[in-house]
Parts: sequence; C-alpha cells; structure tokens
Amino acid sequence: MKKSNSHKIKLGLFIIISSLFLIIALYFIGNRQNLFSKNFKISAVFNNVNGLILGNNVRYSGINVGTVKNIHMINDTTICVDMHIDYKFLKHLKKNAVAGISSDGLVGSMVINIAPEKEFAPPLNPGDTIKSYSKISTNDMLETLNTTNDNISLLTSDLLKITTSIKTGDGTLSMLINDPEMATNLKTTVKNLKTASSSASNSLNEFNKIIKSINYNESMAAVLLSDSVTALQMKSIITNLDKSSTGMDASVSTINELLKSLKTSEGSLNYIIKDTLLVKNIDETVKNIKDGSLKLNENLEALKHNFLFRGYFKKIERQKAKEAKKE
Amino acid sequence: MTISHKIAQKTKTFLIEIGELSFFASRYFKELFSKPFEFNELLLQCYKMGNKSLLLVGVTGFILGLVFTLQSRPTLMEFGAESWMPSMVSISIVRELGPVIIALICAGKLSSGIGAELGSMRVTEQIDAMEVSGTNPFKYLVVTRILAATLILPLLIIFGDTIALVGSALIENLKGDVSFQLYYNKVFNALKFSDIIPATIKSFFFGFAIGLVGCFKGYNCKKGTVGVGEASNSAVVYASMLLFVIDFIAVFISDIFFEI
Amino acid sequence: MNKITNIKPVLKIQNLKKSFGNNHVLNGFNMNLFEAENLVLMGKSGSGKSVMIKCVVGLMQPDTGTIEIMGKDISKLNQKEFNNLRSEIGFLFQGSALYDSMTVRENLEFPLRKFPEYASKSEKLVSEALENVGLSSAIDLMPEELSGGMKRRIALARAIILRPKIIIYDEPTTGLDPITSKEIIQLMKGIQQQFKTSSLIITHDVDCARVISNRMILLIDGINYMEGTFNDLSASKDKKVQEFFK
Repeated sequence: MKKSNSHKIKLGLFIIISSLFLIIALYFIGNRQNLFSKNFKISAVFNNVNGLILGNNVRYSGINVGTVKNIHMINDTTICVDMHIDYKFLKHLKKNAVAGISSDGLVGSMVINIAPEKEFAPPLNPGDTIKSYSKISTNDMLETLNTTNDNISLLTSDLLKITTSIKTGDGTLSMLINDPEMATNLKTTVKNLKTASSSASNSLNEFNKIIKSINYNESMAAVLLSDSVTALQMKSIITNLDKSSTGMDASVSTINELLKSLKTSEGSLNYIIKDTLLVKNIDETVKNIKDGSLKLNENLEALKHNFLFRGYFKKIERQKAKEAKKE
Repeated sequence: MTISHKIAQKTKTFLIEIGELSFFASRYFKELFSKPFEFNELLLQCYKMGNKSLLLVGVTGFILGLVFTLQSRPTLMEFGAESWMPSMVSISIVRELGPVIIALICAGKLSSGIGAELGSMRVTEQIDAMEVSGTNPFKYLVVTRILAATLILPLLIIFGDTIALVGSALIENLKGDVSFQLYYNKVFNALKFSDIIPATIKSFFFGFAIGLVGCFKGYNCKKGTVGVGEASNSAVVYASMLLFVIDFIAVFISDIFFEI
Repeated sequence: MNKITNIKPVLKIQNLKKSFGNNHVLNGFNMNLFEAENLVLMGKSGSGKSVMIKCVVGLMQPDTGTIEIMGKDISKLNQKEFNNLRSEIGFLFQGSALYDSMTVRENLEFPLRKFPEYASKSEKLVSEALENVGLSSAIDLMPEELSGGMKRRIALARAIILRPKIIIYDEPTTGLDPITSKEIIQLMKGIQQQFKTSSLIITHDVDCARVISNRMILLIDGINYMEGTFNDLSASKDKKVQEFFK
C-alpha cells in the first residue's frame, strides 16, 4: 500500500502526541509524589498516625518536601513512618526538627508537618529518625471542644441569671439602666456644672484684673489698701474666694474621675460598687457646686456695690463706651 | 405459557450469542499470537480508527469539559467551594467520564463501522474471496481490527481527556478568574496514579470490547443488506452494554488494588 | 469426449454429502473435472451448487465424501498445503467480490501477497491480467467506480492472475445485461483457450451453458442427476431435465 505513507506519518503523529499526553501526566503526577527527583529517607515514630496513608504529603514549615513511603508497626504502641524527602531540602532540615501529624484543613487528608526548632543543630543525615509529637487528633479536639462547650453553657446560664436580676431587680445599677429620669437628671447636672465652672473662671479672671488695677493703676485704691481695716476685710474676702475655687476644682476633678470610671469600669461587681459612690458623690458635688457658685455670685455682687470699687467699675464701663465709639 | 416460552427462547439465544462471542474472542487470541502478522493492515486500521476519530473525540471531549464545568459551578459555588472545581472536574473526567463517554462515542463510530464493513464484506463474499486466495480473513480482517481498536482507544481517551480539561480550564479562566497555571497546578495536585492508571488499563478493555463486538457481529453477518444493517446496529448496542459491564468490573477491581 | 475420459481428472468429487440440520443439500454427489474442459453445472436455486463449490475450495467442510484436487485429497492436507493448492484454483464469485477498500491494482495484488516469489513481478502480472480482460486503464480505480460488467472482468482478472489450473465460475453472468453477459462468456472462452485451464461453471443461464460447455451436469436433489453434452441433455425426455431447457 504505497499511498498509505502519509497515513503512516499522521498515525505516528497522533500516537506520539497522545502518548506524550499520557507520559506528561504520569510524569507530573509522579513528580508531585517525588518519584523522579533524588530523595532520601528519614523516619519518625508515632503512637498514633491518625489515618495517615502511603503517599500523604510531608511538609517542612509549610512547604511540600516529600511523601510518606512506608508505615509499619514496631510494637503495640509505636508506629514507624518512613518519609522520602526531596534531596534539595536536606541542608535545611536540622536534627532537632519535630514531626507531627495533622490534617490538611478541616476535611483534608492527613499530612506530616515537620517543624524546625529555634536552637542550632547539625543538618539531618539520610536515614535519621527525628523526634515527633503527638498532635491532638480531630477526635481529641472535638472532646476538648465538648468540655469547653459545657463550660460555656454554665457560664452563659450564670450570666443570664445576672442580667435578668439586673433588669428586674431594684439595685442602683438597674435604676441607672431603667430610670429615664435619673439619666436626664445626670445630664442637667453635668450641664449646670459646665456653666458654673465657666462662670467661676470668668469671675476669677475679672478678680485678678481688679487686684492688678488696685495695685498699680489707681492711686486711690492703693491708699485705701493701706488702710488696715479694709485690707483685712479684703483679705478675708479673697481667702474665702480662694477656698471656694479650690473646693470647686476638687469637686470637678472628682466628677471627672467618677465619670471616667463609670465609662470604663470593668466587671459587673466593680461597676455596682463604684456606682453607689458615684451617685452619692454626684449628688454632693452638685450640691457643693451650687452652693459655691451662689456664694461666688453674691461675693461679686457685693464687690460691685462696694464704694471702693464703684469707681473702677465705672471706669471700665467708660473705656468700653470709648472703644465702641472709636470703632 | 407463550410468554415463558418466549423468555426461554430469548435466554437461549442470548446464551448462544455469549458463547459464540467467547469462542470468537478465544479464536482472536489464538490467531493473535500466530504468524504471519498483518502489520500493514494493522497500521491502516489504526489510522482509520485513530486519526479519523480525532475530530469527533476532540469536539466531544471539549464540550464535555466545558459543559461539566459550567453545570457543576453553581452547586460548588453554593458551598463556596469553587476552588475545588479543577480537582473535581479533573478527577471525574480522568477516572470515569472521559473513558466512558469517549468509549461510547467510539462504540458508535468504530463498532458500527467495523460491523457494517465486515458485514458487507461477508454478504458480498469478499471474506470468502479472501479465504480462497489463501489469506486468512480472520487474521487479516478481525485480528487487525480488534488489535487496532484495543491499541488506539486508550490514546483517543487520553487525547479526549486532555481536550476536556482544556475546555474546563477555559471556562474556569473565563468565569472564575482561574489562571491556566493555577488550574494546571490544582489538576496535578488532585490527580494520583490511582486515578490515571486504572482508567488507562480500563480503556484498553474498552477498545478490545468495541473491536471484538464489531468484528463478531460483522464477521458473522447474515446474508442480505438487512443483515448488514442489523450487524452494525447490534454491534453498537452490544458494545455499549459491554462497555458498562467492563466499567463496572473495572471499578470493583481498581477499588481492590488502588483503594479509591 | 471419450478421448479425455481416460485422462486423470484435475478435480474429483466422490460421494459428497452435506446437510444443514434436516435439510440434506448434497446426497452423495459425484463429479469429475478433466483437464482443459469447460464443465457446466446446472441446478435450481438451493439445489446445492454453491455448497458443493464451497466444499471444493474449503469454505465449507463436507459431512462425508472425498474431494481430490490435482490428485490430492484436500481433507488430508494441512492449512499451508491447502493454501498452496488453492493457488491452483481461480474463483470468480457471483457478485465479483472485489475488495471495496482497495484499488483495482491492490485487488489484483491481493492473491499474490501469499507468495513472496511473485513480489518482484507483481507489476507485470497485474498488467498482463488486466490486458487479458481488456481493462488496463482501470488499474487505479476503486471498485465503486466500475460498472457491473467491469467488476466482473476485474474479478476474472483476479481469478486468473496466478495462472490457475482450475477456474470455478459461480454464476458468471448473473446480474448482467445480455450483451455484457456475452462479452464475459467470450472472455471466459478466450481464457480457457489461452491458458488451457479446466473450468467449472455454475449457472442456470441456458445460453451461457450452450455457448461454453463441453460437458454438462445437472444437479438435482443433491445428486448428479444427469451428465452429458448440451445437446444430449436438451434432447432428454426426462421431466426434471426438461424444466431447465424450457
């Protein structure tokens, strides 16, 4: 059949291509199983191999370095697993490396993980046996998980009791949570506090100015100050003022602390303890502040009406009017 | 009474057919190893069965991979397991779908072709003419065809599998942003010798079954053009059935030896 | 015909019996074919003519009886010896039986492939055979490109390519128009004269039988019912014989 020469060529081509596909596939699969690369054998001994089978991967620090080649029982509790490791990883594997069996993902097949140790050790020799640790199997894991679950359920039931008692009980905490009036009160208190403290600082500023003007600008005032009686009176006024402002300062910082602890408090018990204090403190503080600020206002008013300072106040008013005109 | 009689008759015919097929197969093996070898005819048949089926097998394989991937995607996506697509598709194609579907296609093409060719040769006395001229027609026609089918089908299946995986990779590339390299990596990570070797061994038997049934039906064709049609038709039916039986047995055997 | 009855027959069939189940096709058939004669075997369809010649060329095994070709009992030959003996017999099949998948050349080369000694001169043999049937131009055609008559001629060329001593024609004119039939018959005659072959012609074409036969045998009920020249038989008063010549 002379005409079939081209047929033969085509047939040969087809056979070669198809065979190549097969050979390539076989090669790559074999390559994954380290059949063709130069490799060496190491062993590890386990108590339980957790369903490890021949051909499972061996990983070193997460890299596939070889496969399981042989599993045999040495005695009733020890199983020796031989692994073929790619030769090029030999220099990286140290004698103190530790092998463990774990599963590849939640449903994956078993793998041997070889983990390096931090301490220095000489490199592994072919045929060496490395240490192993029995990693908990999924079963053990599930058992532990079961205990954890029991604990969690106990905890949550306790927590549930606490929260219900908080909700339905009439402790301070429940008041704080459930009473809307309390919340509004707290809000207004804080607002008042703000106004009070700002007005207090204003008054103090103005007072400072007055003192200054007394000492250096107004000769009249200086003369008056030399009067011992008035000076004594003035002194007492100032001391009073000073006292009230420090009290105020302290109370403001206490409030701040309390508010902070209210915000950041940890643990229900802690909360409750702090809370009672807080409420008391807030109440007292608010009262103090109210008193303090009232007294301060009174003091200022009195100052204004004092004949010694009347001129000064008038002068200030005049200056203000001048400035307004200029502008 | 008549029904049971019919059933008995059918069973008898079936058993006779099986027996004849077995004799035919044993004659094949006997003649396979005796001289002379019709090497040129074998090559010609390989060419006819192999190269002439490439387009068919290629298109079938490509569409198989494409469709299988497209259809499985939604289900796997529901589980958030699209990344398992390459492994799943490659394993199912290499292990089962590729061999069986391509063998079925080839049963349709090759078995009926052989059945019709030998049938018409029988009817027009060409087989007798061959025998009279001193050439053993069983050797020249049957042995070469069965052997060619046995040798060529595994190659066709590998070819088809490869194209099916290309089709699947294409879909994954277009729909799932899986690069061809990643696809290839995942495929070869998933495939094992225990997938590819039993499938390849199995496909030799598929080829043998296709060739054997086609030749048996054609060679023993009854007289007349009706006989030829019947031969090619029943060749396809018997070959397809036999394929599934072989597949069934093959799965059992590979289960024992390879622990699927 | 007396002068050739003393000559040893090239084909001798004795007491040939063949039955398919209860259908006894051949019931002790006897026949001799002598050198360089044209023997016509006539019989009705299903009378066992085809079975008889199939037994002769080994396509069927007879139940009993002996067949001797060139003095050799074919039942005592092994396959190789029988195949060699087969090369002494040319067979022209009813439907020509050309191999569809091969060209005319390959068809003609096919019988030669068993004989390495012919390999070198196959080209010459093929062209000679084609010249003998007058179809040299058809050498590279496929059978499907040929007409029925051409196919018959190519088949004849294939039958004679090994220069056989015996040629068996199975219904050589069936399915052909009368003119082509005559051409084929003339060709058969010519070949017989050229190569001095013995021809066994199976036919129910009376015209064919008249033109070509030296001797005739009527095969009725599986036996050699009557033997003689065309004129002897056509003049017979026997009813069963008369049926053929109506």
